[in-house]
Amino acid sequence: MTAKKKAAAKKASTKKASAKKAAAPAKVVRAADGSYPETRILSANFGVKDSWTLPVAKKNGAYKSLEKAIKTMTPAEVIDEVKTSRVRGRGGAGFPTGVKWGFVPTDTDKAKYLVLNADESEPGTFKDRFLMELDPHLVLEGCLLCAYATGLDVIYIYVRGEYPLSIARLEGAIEEAREAGLLGKDILGKKGFNVEAHVHPGAGAYICGEETGMLESLEGKRGHPRIKPPFPAVEGAFGCPTVINNVETLAHVPSIIEHGGAWFGDLGIAPDPDNPRAMGSAGTKLMGLSGDIKTPGCWEFEFGITVRELIEQYGGGALDGRTIKAVIPGGLSMPVLTADELDVPMGFDALVKVGSGLGTATAIVMDDACDMVEACENIAHFFADESCGQCTPCREGCHWMEKIFTRIKAGDGTPADLDLLEHLFVNIEGRTICALADAAVWPLRSILRKFRHEFLAKMPGHADPHAADAKASDAAAPVGAK
Amino acid sequence: MADVKTVFINGVEYPFDAGQTVIQVAHENGLDVPHYCYHPGLSIAGNCRICMVEVEGDAKPQVSCKLECAPPPWVSEPLRIQTESELAKSARAGTMEMLLVNHPLDCPICDQAGECHLQDYSYQLGQGQASSSTAKTKLPKNVAFGEKIVYDAERCIKCTLCVRFCEEVTETNELNLGGRGDEEIVIMSSKGEFETDYSMNIIDICPVGALTSRDFRFKSRLWFMDFADSVCTGCARGCNVITGGRNGSMMRMEPRHNADVNQWWMCDQGRLDYRYVNTPTRIATPRIKTADGVWAAATVDDAILAAAAALKAAGGNVLVDGGCTLEEMHLAQQLAAALGGKATYAAATGEADGFLRVAEQGANAAGAELLGLARATKAGAAAVLVVERDANVPQALRDGADAVVVFATDADHVPASAQVVFPFGSSAERDGLFVNTDGRVQVAQRNPGIGPDNLTPPYELLEEILGELDAGYDWHGRDGIVAAIQAQPAFAKISLPAAQATAEVGATS
Amino acid sequence: MSTANAAAGQSADRGTAQPPTPVSFPPKEIKKQCDGIVTRYPTRMAACLPVLHVAQKHYGGWISPEVEAGVAEYLGVSDSHIRGLLTFYAMFNSKPSGRHEVWVCRTLTCWLRGAVQLRSTALEKAGVEACGVESPDGKFLVKNMECLGLCEEAPAVFIDGQPHVNVTPEKLSELLDACE
Repeated sequence: MTAKKKAAAKKASTKKASAKKAAAPAKVVRAADGSYPETRILSANFGVKDSWTLPVAKKNGAYKSLEKAIKTMTPAEVIDEVKTSRVRGRGGAGFPTGVKWGFVPTDTDKAKYLVLNADESEPGTFKDRFLMELDPHLVLEGCLLCAYATGLDVIYIYVRGEYPLSIARLEGAIEEAREAGLLGKDILGKKGFNVEAHVHPGAGAYICGEETGMLESLEGKRGHPRIKPPFPAVEGAFGCPTVINNVETLAHVPSIIEHGGAWFGDLGIAPDPDNPRAMGSAGTKLMGLSGDIKTPGCWEFEFGITVRELIEQYGGGALDGRTIKAVIPGGLSMPVLTADELDVPMGFDALVKVGSGLGTATAIVMDDACDMVEACENIAHFFADESCGQCTPCREGCHWMEKIFTRIKAGDGTPADLDLLEHLFVNIEGRTICALADAAVWPLRSILRKFRHEFLAKMPGHADPHAADAKASDAAAPVGAK
Repeated sequence: MADVKTVFINGVEYPFDAGQTVIQVAHENGLDVPHYCYHPGLSIAGNCRICMVEVEGDAKPQVSCKLECAPPPWVSEPLRIQTESELAKSARAGTMEMLLVNHPLDCPICDQAGECHLQDYSYQLGQGQASSSTAKTKLPKNVAFGEKIVYDAERCIKCTLCVRFCEEVTETNELNLGGRGDEEIVIMSSKGEFETDYSMNIIDICPVGALTSRDFRFKSRLWFMDFADSVCTGCARGCNVITGGRNGSMMRMEPRHNADVNQWWMCDQGRLDYRYVNTPTRIATPRIKTADGVWAAATVDDAILAAAAALKAAGGNVLVDGGCTLEEMHLAQQLAAALGGKATYAAATGEADGFLRVAEQGANAAGAELLGLARATKAGAAAVLVVERDANVPQALRDGADAVVVFATDADHVPASAQVVFPFGSSAERDGLFVNTDGRVQVAQRNPGIGPDNLTPPYELLEEILGELDAGYDWHGRDGIVAAIQAQPAFAKISLPAAQATAEVGATS
Repeated sequence: MSTANAAAGQSADRGTAQPPTPVSFPPKEIKKQCDGIVTRYPTRMAACLPVLHVAQKHYGGWISPEVEAGVAEYLGVSDSHIRGLLTFYAMFNSKPSGRHEVWVCRTLTCWLRGAVQLRSTALEKAGVEACGVESPDGKFLVKNMECLGLCEEAPAVFIDGQPHVNVTPEKLSELLDACE
């Protein structure tokens, strides 16, 4: 190709990209009636007939961004674009994705891996399932962009075993992609861009959603999380540098490459210039609702919708004759919000500010028919059941908490049990290798503090020794507070 | 990145080597940081959470077994660690409480009582009042891990030391974890037996009473036992051990750490080899053969006189067990010289296992060679015979010696030819020096709780007999014997510990 | 969940239990599939989970000690390693699992939407008192599962690996009655 032709080609491709850019979804605003619209970027193809097949996906633009990246961008430029987008991990922790990619060493002889975290085991969470079932090629394209950017060799998609359709659709997509030259050797004609992809089925263990528990499980072991450091970017799967990203996170990357990081970064909630920890909530997010509401489901919004708007405009509000009592905004592992705390945006920083967290952005709604003591027993049972058993405080503590809730439910509790629970919270949170124990404490402690009266109501004849300071403890407990 | 080479622990600055963790530096400097899942010979698991310490400036306590002394690259000041601050102590107490919530607290019937870290740290950290009134989780008890080990999952704190030992040290992988959460337990390969002959080390490293020795179970309370530092005489490795005995019986043998010889380990064969010590046919008093052919009990003095008389008449060689001490072998040489013969030693050859056990079974064969004793390969005449182990001095050699004076542990090993028989203490009952297969001199210490009462040390008996032979031998005592050995050219480059020092090394606990 | 006691398969007595005779694994019907799985990873151990899935399906829904030993030999790991996996991961069964395996989600969303009644219905149909026990007629194994990720259509039940959503006790009865 002559220099002139090259330049022309480059111009053409830029033109094409900019033409697309013009079509990029713009920032949303609430309508005059206060309604908050959906923004369908990740979910653009949801509902399209046979959206999971390659021909349909290609018709809707699949792998265009991969082609653009391979033909017009260096790997470093892809990472920069992702950094510019300020996209944060969608699995719950919210770590900046571009920064994570930047940790992968470039000067290593070892194999490099991507382990896609598709072990969507957080209770109340089903958003990644929608992506895997309805747009597996979008997920795979995101993986391939990550592979190109970080120079990795093999993609393992760790899907929870309880998602048979996701597994089938992803395996089908991998097969189609391989036949189309999108996987394997010299992908899309790019010399030396060799990537393989495999689906690795989980087998029923919540802890394998924890990134190092997942690595152990991938290696064929029990999913016991590892102590960090070393961090996976340096020493991950099979002792090699490993990127671990959530499904939804990587599904964002094609549109970031298509429309540019700046476009993505402009969407959603901007960072707080006065608070370096408030890194903002850029872009769109799949959000979900389940529990005591009329129309549970999964929708995509630009960050900014409040919990109440989500419940009232999309969840259809409370069931007939009931009132909403409490909401856990992001899966099970976050502190609970009461009915009068719902006017907070579904965003990383905003929810931390009110003492909760975005988590997986799939809220569980509880109404006035829900007994909070029994809810705590149910939650504690989950964490006791799913504790891997490795660290003493979690292994022994989670089940101990469950037993106390069972005792209170049975009417055998005393106010001293509530003090004991607070004592256990202190000795469980922050005392273990991974965050499962923290995740157990956060919802339980917030429910205990915000709905203390329901616990005391099961202890007739017992006066609350802390009645005087009960008001003070009603205040929301910030995440990580002792 | 600043080059930080020290760490502050409780306000005191300590240097550290690259890669060292806080618990290592703390232990090296005599600071007591409790630990269960940490073992210096195994990988770091960091799961028990009892070794948590406070890192100043960090709200979360950290496990000191995994915490490197070197600060993270962005920190230029040494880490400041507190092991006894409110946070550190409350974190440890919290973990302790968790460890006991489902523990059966069956110390009254637990063999580990007295050497249990759960007891020790509970004593230090525990609270006077139980905070749990809930039922404990039920888990399997009395599970056979092969023929030699019994597992109790309720006592188990899932520290995984035993699992890691089988993975990392023996690489035989018999053990694994099963179940999940608070029903997690240690499980064993369905083959039902260990491939490794080092399985019983997991009993020693188990910090609690979850793994107990079928051999030692319910035999004795530790606080009624006597302990002594010794060396295993099962082969020429000379693994450092602690013998445990009570009322004359040897109860058990456990490895003692020696980085150069056996690290923390010993083989099961060596460990269980002690049982010959407790044979019902032990010889407890000297015997002299009467005119009608009966070996009658005699006083030590009478036996010495009788032995000297018999030897004066017979003359000849001395054949000793390859498990004799340097002192005993040296005196055997003196005795042979006085009798106009030669001293030889006998020892079996077995099979090396590629780890600790070596083919040479004579615990002091290397010492014998240094002293210049020849190895007896076939039966030959010897007026004096010393036999502790049947394996080293088998019947053919014993009968073939036609010995008149016999030192033996077991009456069944005394040949018919013996005129005078002296009781010979087992290796757990004799002070002395051994030279192992690598030429390392090691000290064995007599355990007063093992063997017949009032046993005269063999070196004393041999010196007394030498004295009676009118061969001009001067009584030296043990220090003198060691000095005489040290003076030999073969020992010019070897430093023998003085007998006085050996007594201190082996102070019983 | 009473995994540890029973599933760990430990014998309290010395020397009574004979070690299981390993099956020849993989049998020819699944050999190609298993061999293919092994090639995906840099270690044979990493193939444990996917191979166990294939094996469990092939051997009627559970992994017997003989299969456990066979898989262990095939992948070059100890049988206790395999048993460690079987008792860690909720989807694996190390005991007979009935002709039909019924999973009832018990976690918060399904619990809010009626999971407790579904569990009672399933147990009643199976004729057992508790989850995790094969029904006496060998027809059902009801398992209490943590969140199955079908929350937007809670409560959810899986029968033989197939999801069923918005399940009512009546609907579950019908579904179970339809099982042979």
